Amino acid sequence: MFYRLSGIHHTRYASARQLWPLPADRWQVAAVFVLAVAAPLYMSDLYLSSYMLPWLVWSTATLALTLLMGVAGQLHFGFGAVMAIGAYTSIHLTQAGVPFEFALLAAGLLAALIGCLFGAAALRVKGLYLVMATLAMQFLVDWVIVNVKAISGGAVATLQAPSVEFLWLPVDTLVARYYVALLWAVIVTLLMLNIKRTSFGRALVAVRDKDFAAAVIGVNIFKYKLLAFFTSSFLGGVTGAILAFCFYRAVTPQQFSFDISIQLVAMVLVGGLGSVIGAFLGAGFVLLAPIVLLNIVAPLVEAGWLPVSASLMAHIPLMIYGAMIIGFLLFEPLGLAKIYDNARKYFLVWPFRHTQS
Amino acid sequence: MNIEFFLELLANGALTGLMYGMVALGIVLIYKSSGVLNFAQGAMVMTAGYVTWLLTSFGLSIYAAVALGIVALFAFGLLIERLLLRTLVGQPIIMIVMLTLGLDIFLRGLVPGILGTSPKHLDLGVGMAPLVLGDVFINRVYLLGGVVALALFALAALFFRTRLGTKLRAVSDDHVSSWSVGISVEHAVAVSWGLAGICAVGAGTIWGTVQGVEWSLTALLFPAVAVVILGGIDSIPGALLGGIVVGVLGSVIPGYVDPLVGGSTRDVVTSVVILLTIMIRPYGMFGREDIERV
Amino acid sequence: MRHSIRTLIGSGLAGAAILAAGLAGGAAHAQDKAPIKAATLLDFTRVYTFLTDEYSQGQQDYVKLLNLEGGVGGHPVDLIVRDQGSQPQQGIALYNQARDEGAIFFDFLSTPVANAVMPRANEDHLPMITFAHGRADAIDGQRFPFVFPSAAIYRSQAALLLQYMDEHGGLKDKKIAFVHIDSPFGREPIALLEAMSKTKGFTLKTFPYAVPGTEQSAAWTDVRRFRPDNVIIWGAGPGQAVSIRGAISNGISPKSIYSVIWLSETDMRSFQGDAVVGVKRFTAVNTGADSAILKRISEKVVAAGKGTGDAKVVGSTYYNIGVASMAIMAQAARQALDKLGPPLTGDKLKAGFEMIKDFDAEGLMPPLTITDKDHQGGGWGRVSEWDGSKWVPLNDWGHAYQDVVWQLVREDAEKAAKEAKK
Repeated sequence: MFYRLSGIHHTRYASARQLWPLPADRWQVAAVFVLAVAAPLYMSDLYLSSYMLPWLVWSTATLALTLLMGVAGQLHFGFGAVMAIGAYTSIHLTQAGVPFEFALLAAGLLAALIGCLFGAAALRVKGLYLVMATLAMQFLVDWVIVNVKAISGGAVATLQAPSVEFLWLPVDTLVARYYVALLWAVIVTLLMLNIKRTSFGRALVAVRDKDFAAAVIGVNIFKYKLLAFFTSSFLGGVTGAILAFCFYRAVTPQQFSFDISIQLVAMVLVGGLGSVIGAFLGAGFVLLAPIVLLNIVAPLVEAGWLPVSASLMAHIPLMIYGAMIIGFLLFEPLGLAKIYDNARKYFLVWPFRHTQS
Repeated sequence: MNIEFFLELLANGALTGLMYGMVALGIVLIYKSSGVLNFAQGAMVMTAGYVTWLLTSFGLSIYAAVALGIVALFAFGLLIERLLLRTLVGQPIIMIVMLTLGLDIFLRGLVPGILGTSPKHLDLGVGMAPLVLGDVFINRVYLLGGVVALALFALAALFFRTRLGTKLRAVSDDHVSSWSVGISVEHAVAVSWGLAGICAVGAGTIWGTVQGVEWSLTALLFPAVAVVILGGIDSIPGALLGGIVVGVLGSVIPGYVDPLVGGSTRDVVTSVVILLTIMIRPYGMFGREDIERV
Repeated sequence: MRHSIRTLIGSGLAGAAILAAGLAGGAAHAQDKAPIKAATLLDFTRVYTFLTDEYSQGQQDYVKLLNLEGGVGGHPVDLIVRDQGSQPQQGIALYNQARDEGAIFFDFLSTPVANAVMPRANEDHLPMITFAHGRADAIDGQRFPFVFPSAAIYRSQAALLLQYMDEHGGLKDKKIAFVHIDSPFGREPIALLEAMSKTKGFTLKTFPYAVPGTEQSAAWTDVRRFRPDNVIIWGAGPGQAVSIRGAISNGISPKSIYSVIWLSETDMRSFQGDAVVGVKRFTAVNTGADSAILKRISEKVVAAGKGTGDAKVVGSTYYNIGVASMAIMAQAARQALDKLGPPLTGDKLKAGFEMIKDFDAEGLMPPLTITDKDHQGGGWGRVSEWDGSKWVPLNDWGHAYQDVVWQLVREDAEKAAKEAKK
């Protein structure tokens, strides 16, 4: 009833193969887009700056990582380092006077090049060993950033983001920063939605499923693994730069530590490997669940109903975060995207019960 | 620098490496039986340290606390297998690794949250005076740690010759074949997690004495992972030798390089060890190569 | 797994309700003008855990005492306590939320978070305190108008320790070993120590050890071969006890060990007997429960059962530092309300801070004077020694080599101006 499947037939291949063949889906996407663009109008500054903006940027980062982990099947536990490279590069370049757009591109390129070095490990090993290799590289990059004064800015170790202009419009108000982040999120989302329709995406999927079988049918796995790392690191580097400019407006080494890498992997897994909607859902869930639960628990504690010390209360979000990861993996390993998918399939044929799609 | 400096770095490094090896032994035991890299081993070491401290705060002597702690952590390992791992049989490895990470985060929140975050102290009764051999000073607690580590390794080697140990070895080879000959894979995996819990008690008590029991004990995971990669992820002698090598490198190299660089290079050494091993010989010194068939 | 659609809808509705409650819960506090809201967004779960519990306990107990005694000029003080895990993004989100709840004063007790939030606090005109931590150049009131270290920064602490060494044995031709954690906090005083080593004629050698400082044997082996006359240890948390153990087991006498402010009774009590008698430490705030405020806290708050946490902690080093931080804020608020009148805003509170003159919190701390140029308060402190059961002060409150400290601040400012934006 909601999706109006009846009466929809396609007479051309182009319309049958579009991303959202159902009009209801297209309306849904359009509504979400309008809501996102109009957000500064109806959202308070607090919600916009503390919830919406980080959610957008982290979803983009999750999309970049899911390209690598979900579509190409390469495990990467050092994505925080890739974002750090992008962030530091962009800040140094803009402080040297390079225009913002070029700084972003350069940040992405440098992150991609170094990300390819990470990827070189993927040419050697798979699975757990790749996890370990990327972990080790994360620590190396962390150490280099902290100890090389030219990069991290010395003992004070915080670099402020200068005010910049994007396409001749100054990026200094919250709304302007929000739109820059939104623009980047839209670009990456479009890329990810279409990735599996390109030969590049299909090659990545082949490499993920069984790489030597892909080699047998003529897919150059060396090239595609490196390309996967390159693309994903480029996107990650630019996202790191956007994070530094639009959200933190400063950059410190701790912003991109090992815990952030783990958080990104958690977002990908909780959302669902390889799915676009899953990236947004997973990022939102991992970001917001601890805050939401803390906001619920805090007034209870302050009112004296829960006899919990401030110290234990401070540990509760950590416990919830860990329990959440465990819970998702135990009960729905395919993530929030699968739950969303189940719900959508249910409503496709509601009030009937079965669907074929 | 003179030879005594080098010898001292070597000795302390080897002992530290053995202590890392204790943590690595837990990881190896779990991997051997279930193919899972236990990222929560650092959190288990922290939990073991806290449990030991808790028991001493009830008035027990350190040795009684360790004995009871061994029982508690064995049960804890069994519990983890029963509750968490059984549901995930057959899922891709990334899921199980992420599960152990989730468990690590959960324990990091639960244990210091309930038992308090200020550093707790364990006292093994060894004293602070070092063992002096010429101009070489050896820390007594490190020496005790090395002895305990060697004992654990010997016990593990002996254990694998017993009947139950043979079953575990079968399970580590192939789950399906083990089921088909009547070995209960679930019980074997549970036992291996329990044994990892025992290793955690050893590591938690020694490291807790060295640095105080608090959440930073979970950071022992990183050097332990380096040991495991270098030695071979499913090899016990590999964990022993890998531990000594990582410890020695992590002590000698920073000892000479730090004054030149002006910063601490120990983490860099550990990372480089991991990277070089993976690039040159991914399965480590003694690990068994996995051959994947089409 | 198959989910029945009912459970799906049910959990979806429940989830939406919880989400709404959670997002609204933070901002739903009534926007009263009367209470003064102070936000202490500390690190309970990560790097600063060794200190935060006791520090926060001190702050909360002192605020309870304040409210029992009528608040600040009649206004009660509302303390917001949250955890930011020493993560800048969490700190920024919590800062935004607390600011929208009406908080006008912030304390982060975490150098990375304080550094990340500083530009925002400056923009929003909300004062924050970075008691004995944070960036060195934040003491410059002209560049950082809303940041108030209010206590000796790390460089001043090192300077005071050097002055004590100079007065007791001299510094010329001596060898000083500086054993520090390899982090920005650990490296902060090096600039000052190197500058002083040239003017005073001592040999300085630095020995870094890796974060988190749990394994330092290589560094101490090196220190032993250097044969220093005095050793300064600059770490925090569990690393400090490891440092002292390393020093003593390498033959260094406890009497020649000098430490940064972060060395507590808990750390020292882990050693048996007389092993560590004589270790000295920089002290910014009196320890013990003897001073007037502490006595009143013990009577009115702790004895009445309203204490936050373990009563044994009252009077310990970090507890008293927490009390002092809140006392300074209360004094600033009091003076601002007196001279400028309610309602209290960020700008008025900043002016109140800069009015603080010779404030010593009824004997708890040295006389603090903050001006619009000097937000450090003079760099006061003194050296205390461990006598086996408590910290005993060895000299009077004083400050040292502030000219060198400010010279370095000026150099930092020049460097920052060079890399600044338009």
